[in-house]
Amino acid sequence: MFRKVLIANRGEIALRINRACQELGVATVAIFSEADRDSLHVRQADEAFCVGPGPAGRSYLNIPNIISTALITRCDAIHPGYGFLAENARFAEICSDHGLTFIGPKPSVIALMGDKATAKRVVSEAGVATTPGSDVLASPEEAQSVARSIGYPVLLKATAGGGGRGMRVVRDAAEMQRAYAGATAEAEASFKDGRLYIEKLIVAPRHIEVQVLGDDFGNLVHLGERDCSVQKPSHQKVIEETPAPNLPARARTALHDMALRASRYVGYTNAGTLEFLVAGDEVYFMEMNTRIQVEHPVTEMVYNIDLVKEQIRIAAGESLGYAQRDLAARGHAIECRINAEDPQNHFAPAAGMVSKVVFPGGPGIRVDTHLYAGATIPPYYDSMVAKVVAFGDTREVAIARMERALRETLIEGVSTTVGLCLDILSTPEFRDGRYDIELLLKEPTPR
Amino acid sequence: MVHRAYIGIGSNLGRRVANVERAFAAIGELGTLLAKSSIYRSDPWGKVDQPWFANAVALLQTALSPRDLLEALQAAEQRLGRTPGERWGPRVIDLDLLLYDELDIDETSLRVPHPHLRERGFVLVPLAQIDARFAALRDALPESEARSVSPLGESDSAMPIRENDSIAERVRALARFLADGDAVRVRITRPDDDIEVALRAAEPIASRREADRAPTKTAAPRVDTIKADLVGIFHASRPAPAEGDTFEGDRELGYIEALGIRTPVHSMGGGRLVSISAIDGTAVEYGQPLFAVAR
Repeated sequence: MFRKVLIANRGEIALRINRACQELGVATVAIFSEADRDSLHVRQADEAFCVGPGPAGRSYLNIPNIISTALITRCDAIHPGYGFLAENARFAEICSDHGLTFIGPKPSVIALMGDKATAKRVVSEAGVATTPGSDVLASPEEAQSVARSIGYPVLLKATAGGGGRGMRVVRDAAEMQRAYAGATAEAEASFKDGRLYIEKLIVAPRHIEVQVLGDDFGNLVHLGERDCSVQKPSHQKVIEETPAPNLPARARTALHDMALRASRYVGYTNAGTLEFLVAGDEVYFMEMNTRIQVEHPVTEMVYNIDLVKEQIRIAAGESLGYAQRDLAARGHAIECRINAEDPQNHFAPAAGMVSKVVFPGGPGIRVDTHLYAGATIPPYYDSMVAKVVAFGDTREVAIARMERALRETLIEGVSTTVGLCLDILSTPEFRDGRYDIELLLKEPTPR
Repeated sequence: MVHRAYIGIGSNLGRRVANVERAFAAIGELGTLLAKSSIYRSDPWGKVDQPWFANAVALLQTALSPRDLLEALQAAEQRLGRTPGERWGPRVIDLDLLLYDELDIDETSLRVPHPHLRERGFVLVPLAQIDARFAALRDALPESEARSVSPLGESDSAMPIRENDSIAERVRALARFLADGDAVRVRITRPDDDIEVALRAAEPIASRREADRAPTKTAAPRVDTIKADLVGIFHASRPAPAEGDTFEGDRELGYIEALGIRTPVHSMGGGRLVSISAIDGTAVEYGQPLFAVAR
């Protein structure tokens, strides 16, 4: 096991990693920006070093200062958390060049799965379904024939594309001629390259992801799925739950199998998440996140496994010590992300001083947060300030506990998304467990 | 009696280029505008984590006396949006009387030629553009100072957006673009719609140009804190600097070793070493005070 780990992150995830290290008897070094000097992760770590000014580009992304801190304090490993440097293959390589273990997958795997197009190609080699589509099209007639075989609606996209230019939604064959001409002309004008290809447009899908864990000895398991379909218009997740409600058994099996198949194919180690679009019982691979996820606690609740500790153990060269057949999920868990932002004002981030904080407790409730009364929320970083997680033997119990917990929650000084989460929990779509990624695009249903 | 005065213009708040244009117009009302330089973009002086400046120089023919002109410029600053009461605070617009005929004035609150004229690229570069007599001074600027000033084009600038960016990432990119640029009109093109937004000047936000705005005539010496700007191990120079040491020019006080590279710590000019907080051979973090130097 490592003697000392540098935590290259801030906020609740830095605290989360610090907790795992403390329980494993591993010393910790926090890094922080000048704006985070009074932050909780700085106080709770064994040592702390300021690595730069407020803007993340000069502090939490300042690779030379972070590596220098790790070397000076004689760390043996760096945990990147999520965001910042977590999926930076170059950073993972630099760590290993300096004799530091990067707690995550191998740099080559980060690089491979970091590029969406490459990742899709690679997993399809492993027999995993990706969004159906075509190569470069020769004519509108060919486009019609491809679209007929994969089914409308489809997206026409420019191969040289970017910024939505040369892209058209085509709903039926009659629209194809005109859309093709328009898209190719636009692509020609924008990129001097009018070539087009087709991709199936998945309408109102669910966004479901699968957690995997792999060690250096070839052991690989999945830890079920998480339904992350409650998303803001910006695709930021708001509420996640596991297991995914009303998921056809065939789709669930396909998700878990595909996640294992793709991970095994690329030789994945450590914790990772494969994101899929699900429409009915059709499942399409979207992308892989080669790191711990924000919403990992819901999986921890139903599997009774500490994923961050597992990450550290695996990186230290230990074996998983269990196989798929040893794992069973129990109960239902839901996470609500509490952001310091104003849902009434297009989710504009709110910075400022938190004057009063009361977090919920009681049976089945877990809160991961770095807030405290008097804490300042700097304007430079992600607006998430807390994660409230509710566990119950059934989904109904978990929802009831979450509603109770959110009503107990009091955060004064900044606007938060607590009210938004309560509103979502009360919609008939959420209560029935029949929602997709368009839930927050619809008119809000009054409570 | 007709006089000629050179006036320096600076803005680092709101729509900077538009502010400079408004300043030209306001200066023109004090006489006849004989020449105006291009608008230059210059890096902030001193603290670097603040917005860039738009700078220019105007040549004015005027009947006003130096003191009347100074007061008229200050009134124009107020009118153009400088916050009253904050003497060294952020500037929507900053007007400096640089030169007035061949006069040499050294009075409280009125010094001509402007005391910093010879050191500042953001003054000398535009000044030399409209008056060739200053070209030699401009060319004598240290390279770093000359490089910090560049002409500001009026051409369209494109905001880079990657195809796979989420809406949130695009909005953030747009916010960065607006914060860093000087756009007055933004056109957003999407497959199904075009949006064009005309922008008005933003409210002043806190920011200051400390080094340049510091009072020059006050009695107490200025004390600069020399801080570590990277994480590493500090090593003092040999012989080790001691409190009370005085030096004429810049002096290397030590170095910070990180990742096998030694980065020198300089006194940033002459002065007297009033305190030493750096300990030889120990780790220092970013922003940690190492020395205090009285100027």
